[in-house]
Amino acid sequence: MSDQTDSFSKENSNSARASGSEIVQRPDSQPTDNRTVLSDRRTFLAGAAGLLGMIAVSSCTWQEFFQNNFRRMSKEEIEQTVHRLQEEYKKKYGKEFVVGTEAPLDATLFGYGLDIQRCIGCRRCVYGCVEENNQSRDPQIHYIRVLRFRDGNMDLEQSDIYYDPEEVPEKGYYYMPVQCQHCANPPCTKVCPVQATWTEPDGIVVVDYNWCIGCRYCMAACPYMGRWFNFTDPGIPKDQVNPNTHYLGNRPRMRNVVEKCTFCIQRVRQGIYPKCVEVCPVGARKFGNLLDPNSEISKIIKTKRVFRLKEELNTQPKFYYFFSI
Amino acid sequence: MKGKIVIPKVALLFFALGLTGLVLGLGTGSIRAQSQDMGAALEADTLDETQASKLESEREFPVPLTPLPKTITPCRACHGPEKDFPVNFKRREDLLVHKNLKLNHGGVRVWCLDCHNPDDRNYLLPLSDGKPIDFEHSYLLCGKCHGTKFRDWRSGIHGRRTGKWNGEKTYYRCVTCHDPHSPKFKPIEPMPPPRRPWTPKETKARH
Amino acid sequence: MARSGFIFETSRRLVTGGAVYYFWMTLLTILAIVGITSYMKQLQVGLIATGMQNYVSWGLYIGNFTFLVGVAAAAVLLIIPAYLYDFGPIKEIVIVAEVLAVCALLMCLMFVTADLGRPDRFWHLIPGLGILSLPRSLLAWDIVVLNGYLFLNIAIPGYLLWNAYHDRPVNMRFILPFILLSIPWAVSIHTVTAFIYNGLAARPFWNASILAPRFLASAFCSGPALVILLYQLVRRYTTFHVKDEALFKIAEMIAIAMAINLFLLGAEFFKEVYSDTHHLTPLQYLYQGLHGKGMLVPWIRTALVFNVVAFVIFLIPATRKNFATLNLGCVLIIVGIWIEKGMGLIVPGFIPAPLGEVWEYAPTTIEILVSIGIWSIGLLLLTAILKIVLPIETGEFKKTGLDGVPIHAGGGL
Repeated sequence: MSDQTDSFSKENSNSARASGSEIVQRPDSQPTDNRTVLSDRRTFLAGAAGLLGMIAVSSCTWQEFFQNNFRRMSKEEIEQTVHRLQEEYKKKYGKEFVVGTEAPLDATLFGYGLDIQRCIGCRRCVYGCVEENNQSRDPQIHYIRVLRFRDGNMDLEQSDIYYDPEEVPEKGYYYMPVQCQHCANPPCTKVCPVQATWTEPDGIVVVDYNWCIGCRYCMAACPYMGRWFNFTDPGIPKDQVNPNTHYLGNRPRMRNVVEKCTFCIQRVRQGIYPKCVEVCPVGARKFGNLLDPNSEISKIIKTKRVFRLKEELNTQPKFYYFFSI
Repeated sequence: MKGKIVIPKVALLFFALGLTGLVLGLGTGSIRAQSQDMGAALEADTLDETQASKLESEREFPVPLTPLPKTITPCRACHGPEKDFPVNFKRREDLLVHKNLKLNHGGVRVWCLDCHNPDDRNYLLPLSDGKPIDFEHSYLLCGKCHGTKFRDWRSGIHGRRTGKWNGEKTYYRCVTCHDPHSPKFKPIEPMPPPRRPWTPKETKARH
Repeated sequence: MARSGFIFETSRRLVTGGAVYYFWMTLLTILAIVGITSYMKQLQVGLIATGMQNYVSWGLYIGNFTFLVGVAAAAVLLIIPAYLYDFGPIKEIVIVAEVLAVCALLMCLMFVTADLGRPDRFWHLIPGLGILSLPRSLLAWDIVVLNGYLFLNIAIPGYLLWNAYHDRPVNMRFILPFILLSIPWAVSIHTVTAFIYNGLAARPFWNASILAPRFLASAFCSGPALVILLYQLVRRYTTFHVKDEALFKIAEMIAIAMAINLFLLGAEFFKEVYSDTHHLTPLQYLYQGLHGKGMLVPWIRTALVFNVVAFVIFLIPATRKNFATLNLGCVLIIVGIWIEKGMGLIVPGFIPAPLGEVWEYAPTTIEILVSIGIWSIGLLLLTAILKIVLPIETGEFKKTGLDGVPIHAGGGL
């Protein structure tokens, strides 16, 4: 930025002279204000030293440093990046990794249904997700938060996430899991200053972990606590890591970047249900293609009473809560 | 004099416009926000309506053969023509055999012979067409009383699903999850709650 | 030859001074080094070295950033009387405020960098190389306006000083458009910063239309208060002359700004308390405590008392024109606004969390040391720049020829 400042003031001093004002031309006149140059030089050197230091301590390779945004990469670049990542993960975790880059399926818009009449608050979805999506165990990241409400209201401020009874479901309470709602009008993608997060054509809101600068503006913008931050290097035990990954999904992340639920993009783009849907013991979770009138989710919307969280915020989530009696 | 004033002001104006244009043009890059018109999308039909309704009304259903207990049949071994016990339609608790079964289904409304076929114990009661229902298709019998659940289960709204969301799915029979003699789910132990974040005291203790 | 003369002379001036100067610069250098080493530690471990967590994901750094953007924007408050109303006493001294604005902006940029998770990916923000998400992202706009304002505040005084150094008359017709541009630009930097918070529907504490006006009102309190203190120090330690009149005029303006700030606070209170919806809870957390958690309550109440007392001091001419009370008022206002607009704005925005939980935030030692370090670097730069700039402004530091005699305009080689 300081170099830009330099050239702009240069441009303006020159134009001043060109106008033929009262300023006398000095044959050996300096092109810019020396004080600016001095402070610029100081700032630049300090910045360069800082940057080199940052690169050194952030332990990233030069290819990682120069990696482009996923949406701007050519096919060859993507292949190279995927190859590099697979090598890196293999070295780190000792397993053969697959970093897929499957494109969105045609005529697909994913929707999710959650039957809060059925949910018993057992949290098997939470831990199934953790295993499938390579979330950090320490510090702990859970994409899904199961809220427990007392019968009679849905006041978020009176909800409890840390319930730990002997058995669930408990009498007098009901349960509502919340995760990224994959909004059609997402506030998070609007605010990202580098467009590291966006909505894919099949409706999944994704993050390019190698492009994210870690400013956490999207976390401030999300009304559903859908986004989580790696405050340090994620801690995943080597034997529990899942090697079937997608570039935009569950591949192991690095420190100081944002991550979130991706509807198990590595599974759904191959036609398989997300892990949370499969793991739920009571079948409270439903998933499908909103554009297919015969999918479970379309039928739910047509026949059941559905609602979405915080509708007044106009985020248009694709996560529908419903009651099946 | 005037000319000398105009030029820097005009230059400034162009410079400001140019800077704005440069920043907006370069800054936004070639990536545009992607949006989906969900309303229109939902109206699009990908499957023929008549085809769909035909599938649902079929009696045969793509259900995997979950292994049934070996002792489930032949009931005819005891309730067969060789040892033909007289059928007693009165509800009673003390059965000579099957003492391990605790019946807790619908209270006073339902007991053994409301589901089990008294004429042939290898089968369950028939639907209105008179054909006895075998244990493989027990869901048809459940659907007699639990029609709404049956409809939901058929559409995929009720019950657990695994497999492919756009292809072959695994449906589970009612009895796979619900014990027909005592269908209510027992409570289970939940998995551990999430770790609480650090309070300011804990933050200070850390550093 | 002349270039090296400037550098040599500048360097000489930077290292010569009184005992107070040496003590001040040494202290700041030590604190800056401590700050830098703490930051290196933060880079090493990751942001877990700070007290920020998933629930309160912005903290001390962004709080300081918000406060300092206000300080930088307030320099414009002095430009208006100086150049538009041709108020002589302020016109001569506006340059000090502009230097303060530059240093405040540099501190802002440092704070944002310290808060960034991946500063090694800063190039993603450069339009053309990376992607700067305009026009939708307010952070992207903030980067553009802050850097533009930095350029304006370097270029305008730079131009003026350049001519003073070379003993040339200033072409006001050339520089005036820039000066006029910097007035709406200063308003815009703080408005854009306010909009960063204002546009988030997920955070009802910030999603109030009153936020941007409050930002400007509180900025016009804290910035000029710092300027008043700065001018008195400058007056004491250099030959730079500052009229009392100028300081009292600035204090008058602070009184008006604080009146607006307190009125807007009252309006916010009424709206939340009377409507009594869930949107009251962040304000409740801040001023009263929520579910037994109320770490910020003593802080914000102190800030409120400070602000009201300072307002009264600045309002009454007798106390305004008495330097003892004037300085007290300045210090009270700076601390009060720093609390109100720093931690008192950022942290309650995250409490309660979107799903209803209440989790508090406290900065860690590393965070505090880095913040102190950045303030020290800012003050270091401020002192160093003023040490060079003020002599140029007073005419003491002029370009000299080989014989040491100042060269005048129109002279030969």
